[in-house]
Amino acid sequence: MDSIEKQQRKREARRRLRAQRERAGRLRGRVVASSLIVFALLWGGVFIQMATGNDPVLGNRPASAAGPPRGGRGKAKAASGAGEASAPAEAEAAEAPVIEPEPAPVTTGQS
Amino acid sequence: MTGEAHLGFACFGGTVTIHVRGESAAAGQRAAGEAQDRLLEAHQRLSRFLPEGELSRLNRDPRPLVPASPLLLELARAVRTAGEYSGGLVDATLLGEIEHAGYCESLGAERPVSLAEALASRAERAPAGPAPAARWRTVEVDAQAGAIMRPPGLRIDGGGIAKGLLADLVAAGLGESRAFAVDCCGDLRLGGAAGQPRRVLVEDPFGGGPLHELALREGAVATSGIGRRCWRGPEGRVAHHILDPRSGEPAFTGLVQATALASSALVAEAYAKAALLSGPERGAEWLPCGGVLVGEDGGVEVVAATEALVSQAVGR
Repeated sequence: MDSIEKQQRKREARRRLRAQRERAGRLRGRVVASSLIVFALLWGGVFIQMATGNDPVLGNRPASAAGPPRGGRGKAKAASGAGEASAPAEAEAAEAPVIEPEPAPVTTGQS
Repeated sequence: MTGEAHLGFACFGGTVTIHVRGESAAAGQRAAGEAQDRLLEAHQRLSRFLPEGELSRLNRDPRPLVPASPLLLELARAVRTAGEYSGGLVDATLLGEIEHAGYCESLGAERPVSLAEALASRAERAPAGPAPAARWRTVEVDAQAGAIMRPPGLRIDGGGIAKGLLADLVAAGLGESRAFAVDCCGDLRLGGAAGQPRRVLVEDPFGGGPLHELALREGAVATSGIGRRCWRGPEGRVAHHILDPRSGEPAFTGLVQATALASSALVAEAYAKAALLSGPERGAEWLPCGGVLVGEDGGVEVVAATEALVSQAVGR
């Protein structure tokens, strides 16, 4: 193999290497851009939901408060109906984002 | 969002409170006012201390079949319901026995004898039992005729049954409200369209702060105890208003207070009284939906709410 052919092969190898790097760079750029777009869309959705007052955490969700009385001697089972009840409650919360104050406590005693 | 309307007034020999949050402040106040009117009217009809009340007239009536208002018919049905739910331990036909024990007029808020005095006055402790005669079974309602059938001479005492019943009836009219609580002298009915849990504090019969706390979105809680209405009878013996149907005497079972949860205040009242009358050994058996028992030594036993009410009751 003479030196001219050797140099041509070297040039070809460098060209291919450069092309490979450029492809990798383009691919990386697309991934970064896609990630940024998805990130922006997700947080944009959250921002819009919060800005319109539909904070799901502040909605009426019965499941979050279910549980047995303190110190119960029997085994208290998980509330089977709580999950079913939470779906309409969430839907209602999405429609009516108003936060209701906690009802006043009441006392039970001997009459 | 509007706050709750609160009303408190004397009724049924104690204090009744109503809490209503409506779609507007005015709607809540209007609903609470209507509930108050209904309860005060019911008191006039069902109090055994008012001679011209409908219940007193029924008790005096010599006819076996007596026409009655819808409310009195409901009370007659409630007498049967309470008797059946409690295995006869809640017997609303013991009016003669309670008068014999000295409870002939409303005691109101006064407390002539303290709970400690009452407990010290009696040495024996025993669970109560149903009366073999089960007179409450003779009370029947003829719905078509709108009348009550019972043997002439049988007298009915609304007592706690009427409070539980009225809490249920008034609550039925408040179901559209965002949140409501009807407290008929300790017999509570809670609910509301908002489905928010409401804290329920269980009173300590010996004084001091609440001894337990629950939170219910919907349902009922009732408490029965011997501490609030104790007096000295005609022969100087200390008595109270929770009678052992078997003996007709005030029951000293070892428990001083029982609180029961249920889906209705009437049933909660029946469970609470049955638990109190059954004593510390078997009282918890009468709390299928959960509750709290307090012994004479101040010991507290909490019975966990079962699955039916767990989704509504929240322990703290």
